[in-house]
Amino acid sequence: MANAARKYAVAPADDRGSWDFAASAEDYRRLIHHLPVALWQVDTRGASAAFDKLKAEGVTDIATYLDEHPELVELAKDVVLVTAVNRDAIALFRGQSGADLVAPVRYLFAATPDMAKRVMVAHYEGRRNYIEETKIAAFDGTLIDVLFTVTYPERPELYDSSLITMLDIGERLKTQAQLRQLQADFTHAARISTLGELATSIAHEVKQPLAAIVTSAETTLRWLKRDDVTMAKLETLTSRVISNARRASDIVQRIRGMALKHVPERTPVDLNDVVEEALLVVRHDIESRSIALSMRYRDGLPKVIGDRIQLQQVVVNLLVNSVQAIAQGSGSGNGSARRIELRTNVDGDNAVTFTIRDTGPGIAEENLERIFESFFTTKDTGMGMGLAICQSIIVSHGGIIAASNHPDGGARFQVSLPVGR
Amino acid sequence: MVRAPLVAIVDDDEGMRDALSDLLLVLDLPCRTFDRAEALLAEYEPGLFDCIITDVRMPGISGLDLLRRLRSFDAPTPVIVITSDTNPKACAQALEDGAHAFLTKPLEDHVLLDHLRSALARDDG
Repeated sequence: MANAARKYAVAPADDRGSWDFAASAEDYRRLIHHLPVALWQVDTRGASAAFDKLKAEGVTDIATYLDEHPELVELAKDVVLVTAVNRDAIALFRGQSGADLVAPVRYLFAATPDMAKRVMVAHYEGRRNYIEETKIAAFDGTLIDVLFTVTYPERPELYDSSLITMLDIGERLKTQAQLRQLQADFTHAARISTLGELATSIAHEVKQPLAAIVTSAETTLRWLKRDDVTMAKLETLTSRVISNARRASDIVQRIRGMALKHVPERTPVDLNDVVEEALLVVRHDIESRSIALSMRYRDGLPKVIGDRIQLQQVVVNLLVNSVQAIAQGSGSGNGSARRIELRTNVDGDNAVTFTIRDTGPGIAEENLERIFESFFTTKDTGMGMGLAICQSIIVSHGGIIAASNHPDGGARFQVSLPVGR
Repeated sequence: MVRAPLVAIVDDDEGMRDALSDLLLVLDLPCRTFDRAEALLAEYEPGLFDCIITDVRMPGISGLDLLRRLRSFDAPTPVIVITSDTNPKACAQALEDGAHAFLTKPLEDHVLLDHLRSALARDDG
């Protein structure tokens, strides 16, 4: 009973229930010290005068105010003090003892000086928590990725003790990065494989301007042998050579862009352009199989944020899929209709869509669920990766891809992507 | 009355169409260009053209389909098929279907000229 009495004796006199204080202060210290998360207790009273003054002046947009008065953030870094830390905090910062870390908070923000401002803004606005994935600089200079959280005092106007925790997320981020890299490598390998299969179609696209160049140059030579040659004539012919050479170069450049390995980007992309560029490599393959292609582009499509090359890959894969479906389905009672319809559109204010419909045999009901699975194929050739890659790319763009059968026959794929903001 | 022979060029590629019509101009052969087979067929009349030069791969009706259609109602007008596709099957098919010649891009101007001459001579005869 003496023990219990001691426990109550150390409880601070406040209005909190006794449940919180059923353990001794020593028990708490030990618990906190060994908690498997780095922990800081911070005394923010040093900044209270400045904060109170701003509130009295009626400053509400604290973020803008601090942007205009960076000296206030710098001051806070020196007057806001760490009062206690635990074992993991010392280890995380590669410190020798707690004394290294019980100091003004400036060192916490060495790697990301701007974060101090964000922490102050959240405090000023009376929020209970602030969370950010960030980097810290340990005392030996090591940069460490951490999940940084601040828990503010329940009554922010007291400014007494805030709690900061940090969790080392380096391994998690590394694993995520490796996974992304593997996905990108795989997507790239599949793209190269597809481009290889489309080599004939691509060669045709490049040969076209080259053939025009040869003919224009030969025509020029014939004019040069004639008495009635004019400068205007020669100028026209030379201009034609130049524009076709540029066109050939542009095509090669675009195809090279598709073939190159690159880090996936997030840039504003016009889906109509993506479809046009994808057609560059598939169009002749479609025409050579006597498949009619019809396009309906929605004008003024809002842009999506994404990787242009990967989105092209989705369109190419879906087109190749449709071409193969039509080729496979020929003579299966579908009549003579060999047609692919492409369409871009908007879906409400927040999404743009790309729809492709073919006149192939469609997708068997029992396969609709599995069609996006890796290695799922109903074709004699092919690995069954095309649609799986489409899905993985679209999902990584925050979009949706769905397969269905058109009521009039044939398969229909619809891609929906969020509009970039 | 002797009129100059008129040649039709059918190619979906604008660059190639322009290049060919320039070439025919320097050869003193008037021509008209069409961006697809349907456009030619829309105003086609037997005897309107003395020779037709057509690409193979085009959206809609292909060059080989055009050749077959023309053969079905206008046997005599010579058709020269040009393509960047070096597939020998297409060549054999075109010749079997009655093409006057099957040439691959890039064209050699004197080869095209030889075939045009023989095509137009046949027409004159």
